[in-house]
Amino acid sequence: MSTGSSISGGSAKLNFLDKIIRDYSGLAIIMVAIFLFVFLYGMITAPNFLTIFNLKTIVRDAALVGIMAIGLTFVTLSGNFFLLSMKETAALCIIAFATGMSYGWGFELSFLFTMCFALVAGIFQGALIGLGGNPIVVTLGAAGVLYGLGAYWSDNLVVSYRRPHGAEWLGTGSFLGLPNITVAFILIAISAELVLRKTNFGRQVYLIGANRAAGKATGHENFSMAIKVCTIASVCSAFVAIAFSAQVSSAQVNYFSSEFGSSGDMTIMVIATVMVGGNSIMGGYGSTMRSSLGAIFISSIDNMMVLHGFNSGPRVFAVGLMIVFSIIVFALVRRGSRTEE
Amino acid sequence: MFEKTKKWLTGNPDLAFAMLLACCVYGYFAITNEYFMTGRTTFAIMERFAVLGLVGLALTLCIIAGEIDLSIGSNAALAAVIVVRFTDSLGAPTALLIAVLISTSIGIIQGYFIAYLRIRAIVLTVGTLMLLRGVALFVAEEKTVMLTDFRIPDFITTKYFYYFSPASILVILVFMLVGFFMSYTRYGREIYAIGGARKEALASGIDLKRPMIIVFAISGFCAGLGGVIIGLRSGTAQALGLQYLLLAGTVAAFIGGVSILGGRGGVIGAIIGTLTVNFLNTGLVFNVTPAFLVQLYLGILLVIVIMFQTGSRIFDQSQKRRQLLSDVDLRRLDLLSRKHKYQKPP
Repeated sequence: MSTGSSISGGSAKLNFLDKIIRDYSGLAIIMVAIFLFVFLYGMITAPNFLTIFNLKTIVRDAALVGIMAIGLTFVTLSGNFFLLSMKETAALCIIAFATGMSYGWGFELSFLFTMCFALVAGIFQGALIGLGGNPIVVTLGAAGVLYGLGAYWSDNLVVSYRRPHGAEWLGTGSFLGLPNITVAFILIAISAELVLRKTNFGRQVYLIGANRAAGKATGHENFSMAIKVCTIASVCSAFVAIAFSAQVSSAQVNYFSSEFGSSGDMTIMVIATVMVGGNSIMGGYGSTMRSSLGAIFISSIDNMMVLHGFNSGPRVFAVGLMIVFSIIVFALVRRGSRTEE
Repeated sequence: MFEKTKKWLTGNPDLAFAMLLACCVYGYFAITNEYFMTGRTTFAIMERFAVLGLVGLALTLCIIAGEIDLSIGSNAALAAVIVVRFTDSLGAPTALLIAVLISTSIGIIQGYFIAYLRIRAIVLTVGTLMLLRGVALFVAEEKTVMLTDFRIPDFITTKYFYYFSPASILVILVFMLVGFFMSYTRYGREIYAIGGARKEALASGIDLKRPMIIVFAISGFCAGLGGVIIGLRSGTAQALGLQYLLLAGTVAAFIGGVSILGGRGGVIGAIIGTLTVNFLNTGLVFNVTPAFLVQLYLGILLVIVIMFQTGSRIFDQSQKRRQLLSDVDLRRLDLLSRKHKYQKPP
C-alpha cells in the first residue's frame, strides 16, 4: 500500500497529528465533521423535526428498507457483494401474496405461498453464486427473470383485494402506539443481530466473508453458505412485499421500481443502506445493527429534506452523495487494512 | 482458409458459442417471421445497435479490466437530459459536445477514485448511480424534457447506404477505434493485464491509475454518446429513464465472451453480443411481445450464458485437477521405479 508501514518501530517520534494525516484518516474526519455540521444545522432549522411523532415517522419509513437491508447484510458479510435482485424478488412476491389474498386463501396460506417463491428464488440464485458465478451478474439476470415472471403472471395489472382482510393487522395495525411494521423491524433487527453474534451460523458467515480460503480449509464451503444467505435475503424481501401489500391492499410489479417511499430505486436504496451503515463490501466486517442504523439515518436525512421542502431531485442527489461519501470515508479509514482488499 | 477459421474458432470457444447463439436467435426469428429478413428490419436493428452497442462496448471494456460500471444507465440518462435540454438554446453540436464531455469527465473521476482508493468499482458506481440520477433530475427539473425543433431527430434517422444512419456510422467508427486501441496499443494491453492478473500486473510495474482511468473514461464516453443518441433521436429525455441499459449491456457483454474474472473478451465479441440482444429485442417486437416481457427473456439469456460459463469453468478446473493428479502419479511411479533401480545394484 502507498501509506507505507513505519519501519521505525517503537520510536514513536511521529506526533498524533502527523499520524492521522499519514493514515489519511484526517481527511475522513474532516469530511465527517463537515457532514455532521450540515446535518445538525438542518435538523435544528427544520420545523417539527425533533418531535416524537416525527421520530416515529422516521423509524416507520426506515422499516421497509431496513428489513431488506438486514437481509442483504448477511449476503454482504459473507463476501458475496450484494444482490441486485432485491426489488424484483419483492415484486414477484407481492404478486404472489396479492393473488393468494384475492383468491380468499387467508393470510397464513398466502404468507406460506409467498415464502415458497422467496425460497425458490433464494436457493436458485444462491446455488448459481455458490458454484462460482459472480453475484452481481447472476442477480442482474435473476432480476430480469423474476420481474418478468411477476409481470407475466399479473399481466402487468394491479391485483387488489377487499379491505376487511386477514393481513390488515400487519399493514395498518399498531402495538403499544408503534405501527406493527416498526415493531417487526425492531424484532427482526434484534434477532438478526443475535443470530450473527451468538450462533454458529453467524460466526461461519463472518469466517467465510473474512477469509474464504480459510473457510474452505476448515470445511465451510461457500456453496451452502451462499444458498443460506441468499435465502435469508429473499425471505426478507418477501416479508417486505407482504407488509407493503397489506398496507395498500393491492399489488403491482412496479410498486418497488422507482420513487418508492423516499427516493430512487428500492434495490439501490437497500444497497445504499448497507453501505452507509459502514459494512465492508468485501465481507467479514460489519453487522446488521449497522444496517438498521443506516436505514434510520438515511430516512432521517430524507425526512429532514422533505421538511425543508426539497423536491425529489435534490433528495436523490443527497442519498447518492451520502453513499459516495461513506464509501470514500470508510475506504480512507480502512486504507491499508485487509478488509477492503 | 477453412482450416484457419476452424483453428481460430476452436481457439476462442466463447466467441464460437456467441456466434452460434446469434445465428440461432436470428435464424429462429427469420424462420418464424417473414418480415424479419428484410432491409428495413436490418436498418432497425442497426439503429438499436447504435445505442446498445455503445453500452455493450463500455461494459465489455469494464469487465475486461475486472470491474463493472453500474452507473452506466444513469450516466446515459444524464447525457440525454443535458443534450435535450440545451439543444434549443445552444444548438445541437455544442450541446452534444457538452453532454459527452461531462459524461467522459464523470468516467475519468470515477476511474481515478477507484484506482486511488483501491476499492472495487461496483462499490463506487452504486453510489454514483444514485448521485447521477439526482443530478439528472436536477437538470431536468423533474420533468420530461423535450425538443422543439424536430429537424435533428430527422437528420439522425436519415438512411445512408440502405442500412445505416449517421448515428450507427458514428458508432461503427467508435467500435473500430476502440478495437484498434485495445489490440495494438500498450494501453489496451495494460487494460487486459489489470483484468486478467491484477497482482502480477501491479508487481510488474503497471500503474493502476492509468488503465483504470482510461477504461472508465471510455465507459463514460460510450454511455454519454449512447444517451445523446437516444435523446436526440426521440427528442425527449427522462431523468429516471434508461434503466434497462445495464441489463441489456451486461447480457451483450457476456454473450460476447467476457469472463467476470477479467482479461478475456474483445470488441468483436461485444459486436456479436450486442447483435444477438438486438435480434432478440427486434424479433420480440415483431412477435408482438409486451415490453415488460423483454426483460424476462433477457434475464433468461443472461442466466443461460452464466450457467454455460460457470459450467465450463468448473469443467476446466476438474480437468486441470485430473491432469495434475495423473502427472503426480506418473512422477511418483517414475521415482519409485528409479529408486528400485538405484537400490538394486548393492
